[in-house]
Amino acid sequence: MRLKLLVVIASTAAALVTQGRLYAHHSFAAQYDGTQSIRLIGTLTKVEWTNPHTYFYLDVKEPDGTVVQWACEAGAPGALSRRGFKRGDLKIGDTIIVDGYRARDGSHLADARRVTLPDGRIVSGASAGDGGPQ
Amino acid sequence: MTRDTLRSILVAGVFALTTVNASAQPLTVDDFKSTRPAPRTASGKPDLSGYWKGTRDTKPGGNIGKDLPGWRLPLTEAGEAALRHNLTATVDPEALCIIGGIPRHNASGLPFEVLQGVNKVAFLYWYSYFRLIPIDPTRKHADDPDPSFFGEALGRWEGDTLVIDSIGFKDERVWIDENANPHSDALHVVERWTRPDFDHIRVETLIDDSKFYTRPFTYSRTWVLGKPEEELHEYSCSENNVHKDHLGFGPGPIRKDGTRGYDDPAPLPPPIPRPPAK
Repeated sequence: MRLKLLVVIASTAAALVTQGRLYAHHSFAAQYDGTQSIRLIGTLTKVEWTNPHTYFYLDVKEPDGTVVQWACEAGAPGALSRRGFKRGDLKIGDTIIVDGYRARDGSHLADARRVTLPDGRIVSGASAGDGGPQ
Repeated sequence: MTRDTLRSILVAGVFALTTVNASAQPLTVDDFKSTRPAPRTASGKPDLSGYWKGTRDTKPGGNIGKDLPGWRLPLTEAGEAALRHNLTATVDPEALCIIGGIPRHNASGLPFEVLQGVNKVAFLYWYSYFRLIPIDPTRKHADDPDPSFFGEALGRWEGDTLVIDSIGFKDERVWIDENANPHSDALHVVERWTRPDFDHIRVETLIDDSKFYTRPFTYSRTWVLGKPEEELHEYSCSENNVHKDHLGFGPGPIRKDGTRGYDDPAPLPPPIPRPPAK
């Protein structure tokens, strides 16, 4: 039964995304280094559900024990919502996993290409149509 | 194969679909057949009104040289210099919330909406930008129009074709497309809009800029009609423009296929499979 449910979820997700639209505010390559992928695991401290991009902030513990705040950039709220990624999915204090790319300027800013939520759900945070990796 | 393994495959599959299709536009023009004729207004002219969406077969997206061999634009020496300047010393104006203008909006992947009246037609764009164009064959261009991003646009009907003739463009803080190609204040754009059937809108664009291009060239494109419930929504470009302080000059690398982006990006770390439900 669970497998059937998962297949339904998969089909629904596929149907949703094929109805997706193209959004691009700036070139991925103008801001991010496509050669530097990164995984951030941190505690959510702030969410900005705003245009032209959504930002959320993670406190990430470095190997030496220091904590660094990272800004994670995702698509516009409308685009994320249509993918099923809602503002309510991000709760302050949650542990979030972000797979993405580092900013070219070396700042603690990452493109949140893929977001793993605390319940294990994986959502795309990509600013679609920005020329970024697919 | 265990249930958990299958579950992981499905999760990865859903994610793959999401990431692929998040950037892909939903349809090709040929996928979207239409048996309905174009609607007409009370005056008998085609009604171009609708919410129009790009399709996957517009390639390379965002490149105004799409219809030229090798996408090579016929740049003059001054045009080459302007392109170098755009690539090495300017941030994408659209990313700074400056109006993209024409013809850039016609090369954009973003949907747009047309509202057609008797004597005016409005083109509504993402970022809450618009242009309002008089339809009046007696109107002439001003001798010295104030430069603007959309230019001084005049509309007229030629049969079932809405012709929009625009001059008076800005020559700074503009890119003619997403790849940072330039245009000057000598730009003259003639758009010929048609609605061949209910579900398609098409433009044939003549781009003439004798300062930066050795000859006029064309850009043509077809969009498909959105669903009845689809429409533009508020999109405040400058609400939280955090990225403006992190953008480099130019669009970044241009791929072999004529689009902006990396040819061989580093892969993301592998997805973490969702834990089995208890």
